[in-house]
Amino acid sequence: MVVNWKSQFPIFDQYPNLAYLDNAATTQRPNTVIGTISKFHQKENSNIHRGVYALSTQSSKMYEETRKEVGHFLGTDQHSIAFTSGTTESVNIVARSFVSPQIEKGDNIVISILEHHSNFVPWQQLSIEKGAELRIVPIDKNGTLKLDVLKNYIDFKTKMVSIGHISNSLGTINDIREVVTIAHSKNAPVMIDAAQSAAFYDLDHQKIGYDFLAFSGHKLFGPFGVGVLFVAEPYQDQISPYNFGGGMIRNVEESNTEFAKYPFSLEAGTPNISGIMGLREALNFIQDIDRSIARNHVGDLTKYCCEILSEINGVEVIGNPASSIISFNVTGIHPHDVSSFLDKDDIALRAGMHCTQPLMKFLQVPSTVRASFSLYNSLEEVDRLKASIEDLKKFWK
Amino acid sequence: MTKEEIQTLYKEKVLPEVKSPFHFEKDQNADHVIEAYNPLCGDKYKIYIREDSVCFHGFGCAVSKSSTSILLRTLEGKSKEAKQKLCEDFIKSFEEDRDVDLPEELRILLELRNFEGRVDCIQLSWIAMLEYLKNED
Repeated sequence: MVVNWKSQFPIFDQYPNLAYLDNAATTQRPNTVIGTISKFHQKENSNIHRGVYALSTQSSKMYEETRKEVGHFLGTDQHSIAFTSGTTESVNIVARSFVSPQIEKGDNIVISILEHHSNFVPWQQLSIEKGAELRIVPIDKNGTLKLDVLKNYIDFKTKMVSIGHISNSLGTINDIREVVTIAHSKNAPVMIDAAQSAAFYDLDHQKIGYDFLAFSGHKLFGPFGVGVLFVAEPYQDQISPYNFGGGMIRNVEESNTEFAKYPFSLEAGTPNISGIMGLREALNFIQDIDRSIARNHVGDLTKYCCEILSEINGVEVIGNPASSIISFNVTGIHPHDVSSFLDKDDIALRAGMHCTQPLMKFLQVPSTVRASFSLYNSLEEVDRLKASIEDLKKFWK
Repeated sequence: MTKEEIQTLYKEKVLPEVKSPFHFEKDQNADHVIEAYNPLCGDKYKIYIREDSVCFHGFGCAVSKSSTSILLRTLEGKSKEAKQKLCEDFIKSFEEDRDVDLPEELRILLELRNFEGRVDCIQLSWIAMLEYLKNED
């Protein structure tokens, strides 16, 4: 089935020849999302909650409906969903407001070497502060998480297991259901960083059973600055407020304050309301497309890209990419130079450490070139990538 | 910059410097070792300093390597004050987007100023060197 997804993204009207292969950093926005945000500013703008006039009640209604729709997206209800500024803030909230009050010296936190800094540094810093142990699960030569090591690392002193669903550097898909099963057998809670998977992968809480989950709006066709934190019901009362201010209180006296319940306890101050409206429309966009077709599409592009990159002498694909992300290196040419030259052929991709310095050190590579695919990419663009790399190699001789 | 302009720049200025970098070696007995490191891209050089010589070693892109090479060749043999002024002038020429009075060789690097996203690569070792010079006893 051929779907013209590209025509729904106006960035390509501006840059018709652009091969945008940096979707792991951020996706482009479809017309519907842009239109919804614009419409909010033009026709619906007002603050939420507390206002009793029509515009405000309408905003409040749309805001809370979005919470319900995000809940539906994760196979749960609105009571489990808090809005944040993105995945990073969501992880930090769980580290600081849930794990921090209960972890002590001798306890441990389990993460993996694949993690983005946003799911690495918060746990590392908390461990240092509390004298706890940070246990980092390694990968094998194919980039696959060593579940046997994970199993050994989790014990009854484990206060959190926090694992990314899909590696933003290597594209590895982790078996999060198995991670949850292993962790729960030791009564350890599990947080899933779903930043790279939320667009196309099923994250149904009933099927996977995670306890905490985070994702960002801008990596699933929504706007920057909005994200989601899911907290399972048994833990909701154990999350303490993160920021203090308006909107997260029940009663304020001169000498003390009674806080609202989760999720409102985490939403101090005026939220990014227009962003939340954009997130809602992004979820509508995702649910209107057939996600299995989308998943197959980016999977086919990834597989094809791996094949043709392997045909180029001196190009090494790192790991065994299975989702929509490929890291590779061109022998003798630094990733930044590769990226700069490819840019001149209208190919936008990323070079560097991708906020995964521990992983780069583990792999003993200083940095990589990363291509990441989405709906609007095509086999023809992958062919252009190959041609451009070959052209660069000839020039560099 | 167009692709042709970048190819010309690399071919004529950047790659020759990368292929024959100035004093690209380690010096275990250096008086001082400074590190030029970009945590976003992973480029990392060590610059080894003696009273009468400098050399460098490490990993980075063609732009940062050629810039570091030119930096060391330009600074070697100069007084501390002259080195610091040169580094300040060079960095200033980027920050203020204007030409300052620079030696001819450094004008090569200024041509890279319009190379999108690569200013950090050009300035990497210059900033590290200036920091060192400012804090030197």
